[in-house]
Parts: sequence; C-alpha cells; structure tokens
Amino acid sequence: MYDIKPLEEEWNKYKKKKMKPWYVLLLTFIVVTACVFIFLNYKDLILSKFDNNISVPSDKSLHTSVFIDRSLMMLEVKNKRIQDSDNEEKTEHKIGKITEIDDPMRYEHPNAKKVAITVTEPVKKIKVIEKPRKRMHLTIIETTSSSAYKDVERRFSDTADPDDSLFLARTYYEKGNNKKAIYWALQTNKLNSNIEESWIIFAKAKARSGHKSEAIRILSNYIKRSNSIVAQRLLIKLKK
Amino acid sequence: MKSRYEAAKNVFIDSVDINDYIELNSSLSAYKQLEHSINKPLKMILLFGRPGTGKSILLNRITEKLKHQKEIYYFDTPAINEKEFFHKLFKVLTKKDLPKNTEVNFSALVDFCKNLRDKREIIILLDEAQMYGPEMMEKIRLLSDTRTVKFIVSLHKTDDEDLIAKEHFQSRIWEVIELKNASREDQTSYIHKKLLKKNLFEIANSIKDKDMKLIHAFTKGNFRECNKLFFTIFEICEYYDKNEPSKIKYDQIPKRIIEMAALKLGYINV
Repeated sequence: MYDIKPLEEEWNKYKKKKMKPWYVLLLTFIVVTACVFIFLNYKDLILSKFDNNISVPSDKSLHTSVFIDRSLMMLEVKNKRIQDSDNEEKTEHKIGKITEIDDPMRYEHPNAKKVAITVTEPVKKIKVIEKPRKRMHLTIIETTSSSAYKDVERRFSDTADPDDSLFLARTYYEKGNNKKAIYWALQTNKLNSNIEESWIIFAKAKARSGHKSEAIRILSNYIKRSNSIVAQRLLIKLKK
Repeated sequence: MKSRYEAAKNVFIDSVDINDYIELNSSLSAYKQLEHSINKPLKMILLFGRPGTGKSILLNRITEKLKHQKEIYYFDTPAINEKEFFHKLFKVLTKKDLPKNTEVNFSALVDFCKNLRDKREIIILLDEAQMYGPEMMEKIRLLSDTRTVKFIVSLHKTDDEDLIAKEHFQSRIWEVIELKNASREDQTSYIHKKLLKKNLFEIANSIKDKDMKLIHAFTKGNFRECNKLFFTIFEICEYYDKNEPSKIKYDQIPKRIIEMAALKLGYINV
C-alpha cells in the first residue's frame, strides 16, 4: 500500500465532515444555554429595557445633568415607570404640587428632598409626544443634606452662581426656614433680577413669615416689570 | 519481517475456490434447495442473486459434491460465441473433441440428445448466463426439452437481467432459487470461519461485533464486497504494522482503519 498518506488525509477530512453536525449542535447548545442563563440572571433588566423604550443614554444624560456637584454624588436615584392610569393620576398629583410652587426648570439642580422630576427636556420631548402616557420620574433622596448645603453655600461665596443661591432659597423655603429663604432669594435677585422663581420664593417666604403686605408690594412691583402670570396668580392668592 | 496481517489479507483474495467455501446457514439452505431441485425431473433451474451473493461458489460446490454421483458439468465462464459453446457441449455429450474448423449441426445435436434420453442424465451448470444472447438461450431451451440435458442457469440479479429471465425462462423454468446478501450474523460467522480456517485466531478475535456492524452497513452483507473490504483493511493494517506500529492495536481493529478502507473502496465519500 503506497497511498496511505493521502488516505489518512482523506480520512481526516471525512472525520471532520462527520463531526461537523455534532460541533454545530454543541455550539447551538452552548449558545442557547448561555442565552437562557443570561436571560434568567438579567431578566428584570432586559424586560424593563424592552418595555420602557427609553434608552439608557437618556438616563445617563439625566444623571450627568443632575449631578453636577461632587458633594452630591451620594444621592440615590431611583427610576420608576408608572404605566397604569391610577399611578399616572398620582404622579400628576405630585407634579401638580410641585408646579404650584416652582418652575420645572429649577430641577436641573440637585439636592432636593424627595423631589419627583418629570423628564421634559426639549430633546426628549419627541419621545414623550410619541408615548404620552409613559413618564419617567426620578426620586432623589437626600442623605447628607446639612453638609451638602454647606458645600453649596461655600461654593457660592467663590463662584457667586445665581443657580446655587436659587437652589438654597428654594430648599430653605421648602424646609420652612423663611429667614434663610429670603436671604438667598435676595442674593439671587442681586445677581440676576430677572429670575422669576427667586421673586416668587422671596414673596412667599415674606408672606409666610408674617410680612404679607411687603410680599404684595414686592410682587406688584415685579409684575409691573415682568408681567409674570405666576406672580399674578400668587398675588391674587395673597390678597384673598 | 512478515506481518501477521499479510496472511489475513490473503484469506480475502476474491476467488471461487472450493477449498474456501464457508458453510453458513443461508448457503447450506441454498445448497440443499439446489440439490433437491436437481433430483427433480426439471428441465431448467434458475439460480439468481446480486453479484457477490455466492452463486458461483455454490455451483462449484455442488459440482464437487455430485460429480461422483451424477454426470455434472460446470461451465464457469460463458463461451464467447455460439460455436465455442457448442464445441464445449459436444465434448460433454460425446466425450470427444470436435475439430477446430468444424461447426456443430444443432439439429443433429438435438437428435443426439433425444437418443440419449433415459440412458444418460446430464446436468450442465451455466454460470454468468446473462452473457448468453437470446438465440443461444433459445437453443439451450430446445436442448433441455430433450430431457437428456438439465441446465442450471445462474444469473445476476439486476433490473436488465431480470428482464432476460422473464423473457427466456418464465414459461420454462420450473424452479427458481434466489441467493440473497448475508445477514450480519451470517457475515460475522463467514469472516470468523474464513480466518479460523487459516488458523488466524488472534485476528479473528480482534474483529468485534461493533466492527461487523459497521462492515455489514458498508457491504450490505455482500460476500464479494466483504472480501474486498477485509482485504483492504488488512492491507492497511499490514502497512501500519510494518511502518508505524504505534498506530495499530493487535487486540482490535481501529474503527479509523475500517473507515479508511471504506473510503478507499468508495463506500463512503468525503
């Protein structure tokens, strides 16, 4: 027998061909097992991503826009999707409460206690219009409030950023510290007298601390200058 | 140095040698059937089966067995023409050689046979009868009608040859014996008996049932194919034994070698 080597090569080819279906079967089994394993382990994540139709990058961008301050890195963020109408009603209620007080734009700043934020960024609006029933809320829970406020105050002394002072005015007003709220609203107005929210907070804090007439006077002046509807409503409320 | 596989390889050289005849259950049954048919007052007997089912060896064996009891002749190779055939037949009937340039007068031959009726009973075994033309077969039939000469016609079973059988023998053949491919058990027994006949016990023991299962699948129980496959298997074993002994185990035949032999013979393809 002289042709043993070609025969061996031919047999090797034959063996490979014979084993091919088994390799394919084994590979399929491994892939399927891996898929099942991944699905079982990350079931919640996959399903939530699939259902939400809101991409992760938007969440990330939200996070980055919210956490601009290092001192606020310890805040916990919870994503929550409210699907049914009951829940939506509740949400609307919450939102209603917030908008009664403030302008939604102010939520770009962190450090608020249990604040629900409606994602209404201009870019994302397209998606929101497409699926109006789906709204995403962020609940920010403050864990280190006192140190965080001090950090913001300290930073304000360096940067004189009206956003910082407005944030402090808003927070102190919500906490019921009228004196500090008035102080920080005043600081904000000194830096930028066109911020409506700071005027509103100033007037509200004044009214709550018993200086209702002063609050009415300040609001009237501001209305003359800006013709603000929010300020007008508040004025009507205060006059009642 | 002579390899142990050389002798094993030579066992499977395809030949119609009566000494190589292996008695199996199936072949024994066919033999008895044929012997019984010969003893009947039949004019023609058709023995057919696919190539390699053992028709030739059966005819050979029956000739050997009955040659002292009956006037039996085995025409192993078909005559290339009518003239040669009748020369052979003339010699069988008259026990004389005909001069080369002389032609046999068929009518005279038929008459001669008629005269021999009840005096002699001549049995002629015609192997590879599919090689004979229709005219020849017609003459053979006429000779068998004299009841002096009984023909046992061996045919390959293929679609075309079945047609020949139908056309020429349907109304005349009185007995049909069909040989089939061997079962796995018969084939295993055939291989072992063949090897043991040559005292190759170790090699016979190295062929396991699973090997026979594979070999039977490749050869479909055909004896000729089986001989070819075993010849190639032992040829490969012989090569390894002489050149690369690490690739071979003496207590078993590797499946790889069986598959290599099957590849070489075209039973399987890459």
